[in-house]
Amino acid sequence: MSRELRVDWPECRARGLCHELLPEIVQLDPWGYPLVTGEVTEDLLADARAAVRACPRLALRIVGS
Amino acid sequence: MTDGPLLWYLNRGSGLVIMVLLTVSVVLGVLSVGRRPGRRLPAFVTQDLHRNIALLSVVALLVHVVTAVADSFVDIRWWQAVVPIGATYEPLWLGLGTLALDLLAVVVVTSLLRTHLHHGLWSRVHLLSWVCWAVGVAHGIGIGTDLEDLSGLAVTPTVLCVGAVLTAAAYRLGLVAKRRRRRARPARRTDVVVAP
Amino acid sequence: MSLLPPLPDEIDIHPGPALLDGIERGPGLAAHRQQYDEPRASSLVELQALVEAVGLRGRGGAAFPFATKLAAAGRGRRALVVVNLAEGETASSKDSALALRRPHLVLDGAVTTARALKAREVHVVLPGDRPVAAERMRAAMAERNDAVRLVEHVTEGRFVSGQARAVVELIERRPNLPVTAWDPEAESGVKRRPTLLSNAETWAHVGLLVLRGAASYRLRGTTSEPGTTLLTVTTPGARPAVHEVAYGSRLRDVLPVSAAGSPGIVGGFHGSWATWPTLANALVSVPGMTSLGAPLAAGVVLLPGSSACSLQVTTDIVEHLAGQSARRCGPCFNGLPALAEAVRGLLEGTGSQQRVEELCGLVARRGACAHPDGTVRLVRSLLLVLTDEVVAHRHGSCTVGVSDLAGAAR
Repeated sequence: MSRELRVDWPECRARGLCHELLPEIVQLDPWGYPLVTGEVTEDLLADARAAVRACPRLALRIVGS
Repeated sequence: MTDGPLLWYLNRGSGLVIMVLLTVSVVLGVLSVGRRPGRRLPAFVTQDLHRNIALLSVVALLVHVVTAVADSFVDIRWWQAVVPIGATYEPLWLGLGTLALDLLAVVVVTSLLRTHLHHGLWSRVHLLSWVCWAVGVAHGIGIGTDLEDLSGLAVTPTVLCVGAVLTAAAYRLGLVAKRRRRRARPARRTDVVVAP
Repeated sequence: MSLLPPLPDEIDIHPGPALLDGIERGPGLAAHRQQYDEPRASSLVELQALVEAVGLRGRGGAAFPFATKLAAAGRGRRALVVVNLAEGETASSKDSALALRRPHLVLDGAVTTARALKAREVHVVLPGDRPVAAERMRAAMAERNDAVRLVEHVTEGRFVSGQARAVVELIERRPNLPVTAWDPEAESGVKRRPTLLSNAETWAHVGLLVLRGAASYRLRGTTSEPGTTLLTVTTPGARPAVHEVAYGSRLRDVLPVSAAGSPGIVGGFHGSWATWPTLANALVSVPGMTSLGAPLAAGVVLLPGSSACSLQVTTDIVEHLAGQSARRCGPCFNGLPALAEAVRGLLEGTGSQQRVEELCGLVARRGACAHPDGTVRLVRSLLLVLTDEVVAHRHGSCTVGVSDLAGAAR
């Protein structure tokens, strides 16, 4: 199962907590919005879930396929 | 143990602690919203502190309520901790304290369940925390032994806390105004004409 | 030269072989019934078979198989049907053409499908920026007496107003702007109900299938792509022209002679540049034109003409699109204006292609809708297809012969 971190773009306000908690796959673009550069692998799953919970706008979801 | 000044001092002390903790929590909450590049603390730390300090204030509130009810010097019943009307001891000021507790309960419970709620709903309920703070401070000023006159112990802390929250509120309103300006209405399709 | 039609409802609508057959008799219900009779009620299974027999694809731009959407809507409970008349593309006029000349074909398709899905309403979404077309469709709706209710909505008239989720938001009485869709609206749309939302032309094709059958539909087009499609051809100074063409026919047949020799944009503002040889040799086909690098999308062909500088045209379009962002998604409302500035830099010969490509990468697929993606598609097609022009501008000249670049820029 491959998991992807998806951003709810209209909700995102570039607070940057996701980048702080998941720097391995979340960088920030020049305007502060998240740039997701990789999959959520097994070892990143716990941190990814923390990032989803920490987002003040609840603008993140882990979507699996 | 239900006699004597110990419970009374604990009650007054915990009241002061609640006010300070809630003030810090409100200020941290506002700092979480503003996006300040180059801030020294990561945003998730500010957010965690805001949350944990608010939860600590709940603990202080529990002490405050228990000591008030258990103290036999004043007639405060258990139910008066959650129902804002019908008290015999200082009904108005006590009622405000109870109202503040009710509001804090709503804010805390909705925040603990934040991920299961619609974000817009949570956000609007969370605004009640400003009301909760104000009502709590009014309760303290009205009922508080240490605020009976200007030489009271709690005067300076209260003034500082009020100042901090007013500043935070002004900053927060400033952020709202800035966001409104930035998100001006999108252009209509017919507004733009390509130059000939 | 203005690429935006000055009066979007002044369109040249040419009679066609199927959808636009018989339009000279007028758009009224009586004339329509004389030509077509009442539509037979179809079961969901029958309707499914009909659309699968001709491989019907949506005409809103994504060319999504209609049968898949129909099946998804049919699986759920309390489905609803939405007719989207808000053409996604400014330069497209085909949905307005249908509203003006063939509204009942569109409505027959939608109503029959609604009945097959046991839906009780058909929501008709009228374009807020094309009042004449909207009024004609309203009049057509008033003439009818169907077993399902026809509910009217009017968009807010922006570029993104016709986007599927923006339409769902409008129907739910929220601002007519895109939001993130975690599921396709055919599964979970208006109030989480299965929502079969399609473009007006798609519904017209469904109507044609229901009224005339698949065999007759397959008489036109090719074996792999049966049927016809509507194209809007826009040239400067002329009214947009809507043509109905069979799949497999030559695109060149509907292009004006004056356009010969110059590149054009296929697909609209969210489309792709194509050289004249590509346009001249292209056959109208969804997979065919995609493989040529010029996907048909909403069926728009923009022909700026021989005196237009393609970098100027691109800059103007990208600047316009930047202003049409819903301003909800950070990468889009920050990135598109930056991209517009970078493309202007290419026009003036001072900017770098690398910067343009960097911004394209930052903006694509980072939004709730395809607005940034479409803009990036246009810009990337310029860099890929018209490299000579870009190089010329970098050296201070323009292949169209405009010598003073800074002056020509405005």
